[in-house]
Amino acid sequence: MKIGVFVCHCGSNIEATVDTAAVAKMALGYPDVAFATDSMYTCSEPGQEGIVQAIREHGLDGVVVASCSPRMHEPTFRRTVERAGLNRYMFEMANIREHVSWIGKDREANTNKAAELVRLAVEKLRRDRPLHAKQFDVTKRVLVIGGGVAGIQAALDAAEGGVEVVMVERESTIGGKMAKLDKTFPTIDCSSCVLSPKMVDVAQNPNITLYAYAEVESISGFVGNFTVTIRRKATYVDWSLCTGCGSCTEKCPSRHTPDAFNEKVGETTAINIPFPQAIPKKAVINAEHCRKLKSGKCGVCAKVCPTGAIRYDMQDELVTEQVGAIIAATGYDFMDWTVLGEYGGGRLPDVVTSLQYERMMSASGPTGGHIHRPSDGREPKKVVFIQCVGSRDRSIDRPYCSGFCCMYTAKQAILTRDHIPDSQAFVFYMDIRAPGKMYDEFTRRAIEEYGVNYVRGRVSAIQPAMRPDGSMGYIVRGADTLLGQQVEVDADLVVLAVGIEGSRGAGHLAETLRISYDKYGFFMERHVKLAPVETNTAGVYLAGVCQGAKDIPASVAQGSAAAAKVLSLFSKPKLENDPQISVVDIKRCVGCGKCIRVCPYQAIKETVIRGETKAEVVETVCQGCGLCTATCPQGAIQVAHFTDNQILAEVNALCLS
Amino acid sequence: MSVLTGKELRIVGFLCNWCSYGGADTAGTARAAQPTDLRIIRVPCSGRVNPLFVLKALMHGADGVLVSGCHPRDCHYSSGNFYARRRLEMLKDFLPIVGIDPERFEYTWVSASEGQRWKEVVTSFTDRIHRLGPAPRWADIKPRYDLPFNQPEKLLEPIRPLGCGENPSLGELKQAIRDALAAKPGADGRKLEGVLGWKRGFDAVHAEPVFMQTPEDVDELVWGPFNVHNLANFLPQYKGRKIGVVVKGCDSKGLIELLAEDLIKRDDVVIFGMGCNGTVSESRIRARLPENAVIEAARGQGATLVVSASGQDFELPMKDLAQDKCRQCVKPNALVSDRFVGRPVTEPEAPADDRSGALRFLDDLTLEERMGFWKGQMERCIRCYACRSACPMCVCRDHCVSDSRDPQWLTQDDDVLQKMFFQLIHAQHLAGRCTGCGECQRACPMGIPVFALKQQFSRMIKNVFGYAAGMDPTATPPLLTYQVEEPNIKERELS
Amino acid sequence: MKFAYYPGCSGEGTSTEYEASTRAVCRALGLEFAEIEDWNCCGSTPAHAMDTVLSGALGARNLMLAGRAGAGGVVTPCPSCLSNLKMARHRMRAPEFKARVDELLDAPTPAREDGSADLPDTFSVLQVLLEEVGLEAIATRVTNSLEGLKVATYYGCLMSRPAEIMKFDDPENPTAMDKIMSALGAEVVPFPLKTECCGAAMGVALKEVTSSLSGRILASAKAFGADAVVTACPLCHMNLDLRQGQAGRATGIAFDMPVFYYTQLMALAFGLPAASLKLEKLAVSPGPVLKKLADCRAEKARVAAEAKQAQAESAARPAESHEAGGAAS
Repeated sequence: MKIGVFVCHCGSNIEATVDTAAVAKMALGYPDVAFATDSMYTCSEPGQEGIVQAIREHGLDGVVVASCSPRMHEPTFRRTVERAGLNRYMFEMANIREHVSWIGKDREANTNKAAELVRLAVEKLRRDRPLHAKQFDVTKRVLVIGGGVAGIQAALDAAEGGVEVVMVERESTIGGKMAKLDKTFPTIDCSSCVLSPKMVDVAQNPNITLYAYAEVESISGFVGNFTVTIRRKATYVDWSLCTGCGSCTEKCPSRHTPDAFNEKVGETTAINIPFPQAIPKKAVINAEHCRKLKSGKCGVCAKVCPTGAIRYDMQDELVTEQVGAIIAATGYDFMDWTVLGEYGGGRLPDVVTSLQYERMMSASGPTGGHIHRPSDGREPKKVVFIQCVGSRDRSIDRPYCSGFCCMYTAKQAILTRDHIPDSQAFVFYMDIRAPGKMYDEFTRRAIEEYGVNYVRGRVSAIQPAMRPDGSMGYIVRGADTLLGQQVEVDADLVVLAVGIEGSRGAGHLAETLRISYDKYGFFMERHVKLAPVETNTAGVYLAGVCQGAKDIPASVAQGSAAAAKVLSLFSKPKLENDPQISVVDIKRCVGCGKCIRVCPYQAIKETVIRGETKAEVVETVCQGCGLCTATCPQGAIQVAHFTDNQILAEVNALCLS
Repeated sequence: MSVLTGKELRIVGFLCNWCSYGGADTAGTARAAQPTDLRIIRVPCSGRVNPLFVLKALMHGADGVLVSGCHPRDCHYSSGNFYARRRLEMLKDFLPIVGIDPERFEYTWVSASEGQRWKEVVTSFTDRIHRLGPAPRWADIKPRYDLPFNQPEKLLEPIRPLGCGENPSLGELKQAIRDALAAKPGADGRKLEGVLGWKRGFDAVHAEPVFMQTPEDVDELVWGPFNVHNLANFLPQYKGRKIGVVVKGCDSKGLIELLAEDLIKRDDVVIFGMGCNGTVSESRIRARLPENAVIEAARGQGATLVVSASGQDFELPMKDLAQDKCRQCVKPNALVSDRFVGRPVTEPEAPADDRSGALRFLDDLTLEERMGFWKGQMERCIRCYACRSACPMCVCRDHCVSDSRDPQWLTQDDDVLQKMFFQLIHAQHLAGRCTGCGECQRACPMGIPVFALKQQFSRMIKNVFGYAAGMDPTATPPLLTYQVEEPNIKERELS
Repeated sequence: MKFAYYPGCSGEGTSTEYEASTRAVCRALGLEFAEIEDWNCCGSTPAHAMDTVLSGALGARNLMLAGRAGAGGVVTPCPSCLSNLKMARHRMRAPEFKARVDELLDAPTPAREDGSADLPDTFSVLQVLLEEVGLEAIATRVTNSLEGLKVATYYGCLMSRPAEIMKFDDPENPTAMDKIMSALGAEVVPFPLKTECCGAAMGVALKEVTSSLSGRILASAKAFGADAVVTACPLCHMNLDLRQGQAGRATGIAFDMPVFYYTQLMALAFGLPAASLKLEKLAVSPGPVLKKLADCRAEKARVAAEAKQAQAESAARPAESHEAGGAAS
């Protein structure tokens, strides 16, 4: 075997702390290495051309590139060696950037380590065999999890592209957080006017099947062939009969049910349609508050329903759908700001979240668009907005910026001045982050045209104070870091721009999807810059805030991007598997069935060959995890490119020599 | 190639491609400075990491080994890390018995987003290994050759009376077997082809296996302290054929484990059982006779074996002769049988300390002394693989990895490390499956106490999973399954 | 756990009423503490800001003495002592700090395996009352309920902060004293300035600051309808009680707000002898408040007596009431 080794400088990224020429020289001493060189940018066009040339000139059988992580450029270089006529799997990478040059400055140690990693790659390559992909059928349907604006956009674009879409929404209506907003920045146009037509499109598109009030229970399979089990939660209303007329909600006697859609500002009925433009516009009974379901006494809604749609005995139902790809668009929730005792820890009635305030300002909200503070219903004259509540705050382990709060706070301050012309608005901020189109202009308008008082500093305490007239005020105490002095505002209402985190249950969903997530519940994209909508699990894509904080335009763009990814995946008649999968050595297999027991994909089955029981791998189902290889005592089943002999060769290269 | 002398130690990492390798990339991208010692071997999944890779590295010169995968429940392949967690936990518990400091091996979970955590993991593990210093090398360790626990005065007192007298039910057993052989084909249309039992061996203190097919064969059947062989060992090779087998309590456990692993079918086997009063160790008889004495006859008298050798009678008490496993046996009666003959033997309570003499001895040694112990013992190994042949759970038969080039876990060099590594392979393959029949050690012509390695795994399996192999034909061996929440495995949050 | 008692310097001087009532209440609830023999300053002198090693050494010596006497923990009524003793133990976990402190002491502090100092932890009397005795036992001991008394509970800055050192109660909204006051029968008003700064040690250096900060606390308590302020800290007590006139001048409000130690009110509710309350030490007279309490109690007694009378009368005429009952139905 003839192996070529290419050691990359990566500009100065590697060269600065690794003597790449020395590594190449050492590589020449390794078994089977016929050619070794260092190059400036191996991934660049001339770099790749150098590999192709060397393969042809030296008749190389395989190539090792020592550069960045294989998670970055393995596909690139595999295409390169294929261009030169080699099998694409006759290629290995040594990660001497992320694992060497970027994590230490000791040039001697780094050079030695890089050379060792090249040695490992060479030892592994010496035992590589050409592999060939198999083709398999793909189910051209996509599952969209979450019906916020990102999920809606992804579903509409995919459906428009001719793909069947299954949308699962946890709440009884789609629309997500955007449906709760009164106005949107920087145009101050009505949120529901923009969103509602899209929601209606979802309902009317024949390619979209919508499961509202449903959650993903489990997912099995792999790219092209996922099986999804969906739990349709009991609504206690037969939606095929419900016309959304609202008679039930008018007559329901349980009128003190917390109104989740209105962020618990105000109350609603136990049977309820969240808001007039809901899609689907169907009633749902809140079992915790329904008298009939709690005590068996009532049944008013069943009596008044003109279509007889009420079903008090309804149970959750599981349905199964087959899809070839999945888009997660589960959005966000707010962090639990009540941990912040200095802001009252949730005990002060007139300290509200920005989304609650949004509902208080909305014409379709519980107050009909008139701002009344919760404690006594008075119209507030002094409103204080506090930004970064649970954002950029390391003391409570929330180091990140929630992205869109600066903008909506400016919007809410403007709207406050619009709603109550004799009011004063104060905004406590750390920095104003307004990098979008027309964004900075918008915040300037809040300050300059609307006279909103922006105070740069953090608030240390909100303390209720009895005013001489007997009304309750809130002393908001903070620092003005520009003036370098303490400030106090006697506020009527305080609005907190609470930091966001991944949607509740996001971690569990990530585990179901087998994708990574961070400790704040945001899903991890495959590459932070170059693959922001893909994940490490083939066929699973991300849209919207579930991946990280972003505003509406960015969420919509990512929804479209995820749909485009799905459409390009489905544009091929068949998919190709990754041939790095398990292979059974029929001669060695004794048919003990241990591999069948442990395989997570049921990809191994029993077969009889010449009267003897043997294991057989279903090639398009096997995902190449190698659990079977680690389990088989006689080593009769080997996962290609990670065989026992390859890993042993790597161990031996490190330990024996 | 070697580590930078004085600067680095040899630390090998096995990282799953999807989470921890990505986490290491994330750390690199964030320029998170780390010690340079670690060399990372990329694997698809932590479930791919055969614990033997770790042992290979540690036996052959690694100073530390780190395995890192996706967090539990976050496995890219859904359950690979759950298996890894069980196997690696057992490995960590196993290491001290061969003299390896378990601190030199660690496994943990780092996700692709946890660059900072990866840095902390690498730093703290590397610091730990540097604190421990270079690992003792097999080549440098002083061998020791003594086996004090085998000395007559050190033998453990049996927990129940052992005997070697004639079993009055033997005739009944013979008749039962004759009847079974003569019986017409059963409901499945199959006739019993033969019954495995024991007959007198080449001298009066040896028995040997016999496959009885005729009434005359049955006449040869013997029952007593020389029936040492575990006949369950032969059953897998008869898979699909209907045969009978005579079992002692310990043999029946092997049979049950074979059933549990679906290596034999219950319908294929007719089981004859009798209560066992203990079996002898041939070397212990030899040790009590004059050198080169010719054994002429032997007869049991209650708890005493009277051996006539070179014209002289020697009265040898059973408690001096019994095999170690019989001394602490709590299951002398067949746990499963179609025909149990005679009265069951009274089953004793399990002793509070059920360790064998060998384990008690090893537990009291330092790590280095244990390494020296195995080095000394394995120097005697002649690689005959009798231990493997005698083991009823060694199902690989002709496809044992010890003789294979692909995969090539061992070389054929006459090297004590290679010999030892085979024993580690055997023990690892039996983890959670060994029923404790001790045949590996009995069969060893060199008297190497290899059974202790399996006993170490068995006690750890029992501690962590509350599981003993060979008790329940419907059970799944613990390393071939998992629980999402492992009540007895603490989360490994290395940092 | 066996506790050793650390009274602190205030208990011997400016807050003898706190000290006396604390001891009396603890005794009444069956808590016996042995005072640390030969105790010294907790480290709360200017050392705690200027020289942490000196401050640490002062605290560590007390803890070491307590440990030697076989105590598993130390209790102190004073939040400032609590803070300094806890902080000393916290800092002594670092072997380097311990080494520097040990140089200042006659004998080195005992060490754990990891090199940290092996010293007992310190707890406030408040915490011990709540966790070791419990509200139920406290409520059971009450003979003279404080019903009718409205109190604002003022904790000051140190009692529960910094949270990661104190590990007791909520740092922003502590409720330990609230619970005890409720158990005594008093009404706790929703007082938002529980942990606000009273001006503390600025009383000498910058009197105006202390006056306005203390004034603010008293004004809020008054606005929320409190009859009295309850505190657990000698320094807070001094600023709110002794300096109430100054606070009044600073805020333009004429205060007449008695400030009790919570232990005084406990002793009062338990009916302990007046000597243990030392109410005469308070600068703002508690007279009117105590009278209100007494009136309340008298009124309650009167109502109870009437009810009893009525009951006795109805018992004397069983037939009549039976008849009446029958007629009504």
